[in-house]
Amino acid sequence: MKKLTVMLIVFVMVIFVLPLAAQDQTLTVLCTPQEDWCVAMTQAFQEETGIETSYVRLSSGEALARIRATADNPEFSVWWGGPADAFIAATEEGLLESYESPNAEMIYEEYRGSGTWTGVYVGALGFCSNIELLEELGVEAPTSWDDLLDPALAGNVAMAHPATSGTAFTAFWTEVTLQADALEEAEAGTGYDEDGAPTQAAIDNAFEYFAALHQNILQYTRSGSAPGRLAGGGEVAVAIIFSHDCVKLQLEGFQDVVVNTFPEEGTGYEIGGMAIIANAPEMDAAKMWYDWALTADAQAIAATVNSLQLPTNPETPISELSVNLDEVNLVEYNFAAAGASRTELVARFDSEIAPEPAE
Amino acid sequence: MNDMTSLRLESVVKKFPQREGSGEFTAVDNVSLDIRKGEFITLLGPSGCGKTTTLRLIAGFESPTSGRINLGGRDITMQPPNKRDMTMVFQSYALFPHMSVFDNVAYGLHLKRLSRSDIDKKVRATLDLMGLGALATRRPNQLSGGQQQRVALARALVMEPQVLLFDEPLSNLDAKLRVQMRGEIHRLQRRLNITSVYVTHDQDEAMALSDRIVVMNAGKIEQMGKPEDIYRYPATRFVADFIGRANFLDTKIQAIDDNCAVVSAFGQTFRVPLQQTPFSVGEHATLMMRPEAIRLAHDPSAKQVRIESAMYLGTEVEYMVMVDDQLWSVADTDPRTGRAFDEGATAGMTILESSLHLLKASH
Amino acid sequence: MFTLQRTLKDFRRTFGDPVLALGLLVAVLFVFFTILLPIFSMISAGVSGDGLTSLQRFITDPVYLNIIRNTIVMGLTVALGGTLLGFLFAYVQVKVKAPFKRFIHIVALIPIISPPFALASAIIILFGRSGLITKGIFDTRCLWGEGRGCNDIYGLDGLTLVLSLSLFTVAYMNLKGMLEALDPALDEAATNLGGSKWHIFRTVTVPMLVPGLAGSFLLLFVEAIADLGNPLVLGGNYEVLATRIYISIVGLFDTNAAAALSVVLLVPSLTVFMVQRYWINRASVVSVTGKPTGKPQQIEHPVVRWVLWGIVMAFCLLIVTIYGTIFVGAFTEVLGVNNAFTLSHFDFVINGYGAEAMTDTTLLSAIATPIAGLMGIFIAFLVVRKPFPGRGALDFATMLGIALPGTILGIGYLIVFNNPIELTIPIGETPLVIPIIPKLTGGRALLGGALAIILVYIVRSVPAALRSGVSLLSQIDPAIEEASTSLGANNAQTFRRITLPLIRPAFLSGLMYAFARSMTTISAIVFLTTPQTRIMTAQILNEVENGRFGNAFAYCVILIIIVLISIAILTFLVGGSSAATRGLQGGR
Repeated sequence: MKKLTVMLIVFVMVIFVLPLAAQDQTLTVLCTPQEDWCVAMTQAFQEETGIETSYVRLSSGEALARIRATADNPEFSVWWGGPADAFIAATEEGLLESYESPNAEMIYEEYRGSGTWTGVYVGALGFCSNIELLEELGVEAPTSWDDLLDPALAGNVAMAHPATSGTAFTAFWTEVTLQADALEEAEAGTGYDEDGAPTQAAIDNAFEYFAALHQNILQYTRSGSAPGRLAGGGEVAVAIIFSHDCVKLQLEGFQDVVVNTFPEEGTGYEIGGMAIIANAPEMDAAKMWYDWALTADAQAIAATVNSLQLPTNPETPISELSVNLDEVNLVEYNFAAAGASRTELVARFDSEIAPEPAE
Repeated sequence: MNDMTSLRLESVVKKFPQREGSGEFTAVDNVSLDIRKGEFITLLGPSGCGKTTTLRLIAGFESPTSGRINLGGRDITMQPPNKRDMTMVFQSYALFPHMSVFDNVAYGLHLKRLSRSDIDKKVRATLDLMGLGALATRRPNQLSGGQQQRVALARALVMEPQVLLFDEPLSNLDAKLRVQMRGEIHRLQRRLNITSVYVTHDQDEAMALSDRIVVMNAGKIEQMGKPEDIYRYPATRFVADFIGRANFLDTKIQAIDDNCAVVSAFGQTFRVPLQQTPFSVGEHATLMMRPEAIRLAHDPSAKQVRIESAMYLGTEVEYMVMVDDQLWSVADTDPRTGRAFDEGATAGMTILESSLHLLKASH
Repeated sequence: MFTLQRTLKDFRRTFGDPVLALGLLVAVLFVFFTILLPIFSMISAGVSGDGLTSLQRFITDPVYLNIIRNTIVMGLTVALGGTLLGFLFAYVQVKVKAPFKRFIHIVALIPIISPPFALASAIIILFGRSGLITKGIFDTRCLWGEGRGCNDIYGLDGLTLVLSLSLFTVAYMNLKGMLEALDPALDEAATNLGGSKWHIFRTVTVPMLVPGLAGSFLLLFVEAIADLGNPLVLGGNYEVLATRIYISIVGLFDTNAAAALSVVLLVPSLTVFMVQRYWINRASVVSVTGKPTGKPQQIEHPVVRWVLWGIVMAFCLLIVTIYGTIFVGAFTEVLGVNNAFTLSHFDFVINGYGAEAMTDTTLLSAIATPIAGLMGIFIAFLVVRKPFPGRGALDFATMLGIALPGTILGIGYLIVFNNPIELTIPIGETPLVIPIIPKLTGGRALLGGALAIILVYIVRSVPAALRSGVSLLSQIDPAIEEASTSLGANNAQTFRRITLPLIRPAFLSGLMYAFARSMTTISAIVFLTTPQTRIMTAQILNEVENGRFGNAFAYCVILIIIVLISIAILTFLVGGSSAATRGLQGGR
């Protein structure tokens, strides 16, 4: 018994004393892209500044929920990565700190965001398909959103849950935009309201589309890039993910397994955002990160971990493997409207679409 | 209070909640008892009579519902058991299985914070006294039942308590060992002169060991007295029946003369000396006689009885005989006779007047 | 009145010892703050305000009724599958004459130290649509059926398989103990009367085991409906309550909706717990027979024997294959796609947050385990040896810690401890605020949320310690403790010098189980991890959810190794004191 008591005391001391001793300068990053990029970025920042940097990886929906839940006592100081919609939603709720970075001028103008966030990378949504499975099912690689509704693909499509994943929300909003365009084409004024935001009718049509797609979905994953792995592993035929995540898969051993295609009628894209959390516990370090992450050097780290999103700093060298956005038909993605209605839409998706049993 | 009184129970009552329902069960019903210093008292009775509960009340493992317990003039009713200066020897011995014999015996002394050398001395002495000296390093499970019993006793004795409590300590031993251990306990208790309270349901044990026996039934004391008195002059039919064997005959008191009751049985008249219990002339009473107080003979003038069974037991021949319509037990303890009567035979029965005893009529 | 006074008097006498009284106070406060308060807060959040609105929807909307039905159906199939599997293993182990019994026993125990997701991930690799076995060997994408409508591993069938395999150990241990305790004289008597083996099985063995079978069934049912990890990975479109609760928190951070769903989940869990406590335990008669006297008769009929043995061995093989897959997968680039040997997964784990997660998880579990053990034994001591009013309630409340799904506890903690608990006394202008419990969860929580996780580990482990304590103490003759008291020891001395040493070996093996359980738990702590406190199971969840099975397997391998080493250390510390266990019987 004595041994046990001594062990217990030592343990308790360790747990109480260690965090006190570690009260040096630290930074906690809320990181939304894939894990290995988070590791590379935080390690590089730590080497550069000596600030002890740690991260937690959460998909954007989770990140937003977590920031909201801990707004009184933020756990994180900076939020890096993930589609801008979530950043805009967070800005509307007052969860982000305004910050004018001296380095913001380095960035392409269209990606500078608002006062609370700045774009750090860009990427387009695509379909990542398992070649062998497609062949078996007798289906061509999908080139339009409607291709995904093919009954032959029943249980063979995967996407993430829009509540947790920014990727999935981008897909959702892309569909909203396409539906709005279609309505607008039929009768001007029915697709978009006077502020240029898609109308409720467009949104309802998008829900109808996802209700139909739901019959083909195997699983809604938590993380946006995970469906790619399912396609790579041959568990589903088609994954709706960002095209750079599909390229990353190809580079990591799936080059003959998956193929990357785009919907011809138009696809959505993301501006990967970055922001400082309101009342950040490590404000100075957060600003240092913010400035640093906009530099070409920091953005060049992406390619070292096969993350081939396009950099927003023009000085950053671009890998020839990256998807050239000029060759892809992109929709007019209204980030402001997407961000504003995000919370409401994902809640509706979660209660109307996700829990429905598939046929 | 008498100076010689060591332990005193005053109107002690213990009630337990009933297992089923909300009623209460009275385990000990208004028991008062004075135990003198150095006295060996046995609580005797059938199971469920309250004797063990009484002992546990004395030890402090239970607290009385009402009443008080005194030890050496101090009220200890609410005192916890570990402060009572009594030690108990348990039916299951309750040796500490993870300790050696030595450590078992030394346990209480350690708690008293005695010096190591004192402990060593006392434990050795006690182990030697109990003939356990060679077994000091053994574990309890390496000992025989008798040895375990001795260790349990040594562990209690070494504390030199004011009162030693025994809870049926011999009931787990076989018959031979039981007799032997009973002798040892008797010897030790006399030698060390420790006040002892002993619980048993075995009347032989009670008689062999006790200065006084307390016979209990249904939570109450039926009778209290020296073994001889209890055996010869039981106060109730229950006591008579519980202690040894007894035969009963309903009768009527014809006269009382010189503190003797005159009764008749089988056409004969007997004079029975009266004890504490008062009787009046004309009262119905029960005549009690022990099996060994009855003689069987080939005597046609005596009361004729039929032999139902005859068992030869070595020390005696036990007969069951039909007396009118009752089955009586008769013991022939004359070492010279063998089985004098066969089953089915008829014999003449005579009763020794000097061993008769009168009880209040039982119905 | 009279009774009440006496009750009070008894209570005063029993707890007149200050140490004991203090201990009781600590136990009661602990149970109140760490179990009852979170559960009540969770329930009240679920049945009031927004929670009530959600709750009303959940129990009327056909979609949610379907999810509730899914949950119950999954609970039933897993309970059935796991109990049958456990029974089969136990029966072969005890009653069938067959080789490799030691092997079978060890394989049956393996799932105890199985990290969550390990089995599900390995199953996907083996039996998924491109599984090494389904696609690789049988060239099909299905478990059964063919074509597009075939049944693949996703959904109810896969969940039943994986959950049965993960949970059957409990049923196995339970039924094995019972089969061994069955008095062989019963068998012999039945044989004597001319019954055939099959007849005996039907009329003697099974009826005697009914309480054990029912108990295992209910236990597995609760564990299955509480499980979060497997439906997340293998559910496909088969939605259950646990995953809905999870999404409500991580995706929407809607604690009210989560609480409302938890209330729905609470109903079957609590019902089962009550049934088990007040019906099964009362019906259990087998254990009373004590030590068997003869040697159990074994089945020697060749067909029966080899068929039963064959089925069990097939399952053993499956379990071994699954664990083999985890191990191999940890050292392979992408199992099934690129089978090259690599250490990159371990590199990722150890240079990422794996090392931190390892130390944090091990440390927190190691702190929680002995505390839980002592707390459990102490409560057991109170319940078994000290007849005080409310001991039934104390026992019941303590058992709730494990009887209820971990997610429920986790959400309760999130609701209660996200703000400091303070007592505000309005005196003068500035009211007096007495802090009772600081903020334990979320941002800037005390010790980075570590305390909340330790508390959850303790709460989840105490019930096991309590139950084993109760059964151990019931085996110890109370006279042994009374003897100590009679020799002058107070309660604390008796507990420390007599009771604890006597129950130590069995108690420590119980602790090992508790430690393994803490190390592998996910549902209760998944909402409580913070950037400062990383838990391995949550990291594994992260890797699995991102489809990086290799990394997940590397974590699993490390986790298994940590648990095995800890068990080895504990065994070493305990070693040699088996004499005391033997003594338990020898004391008489």
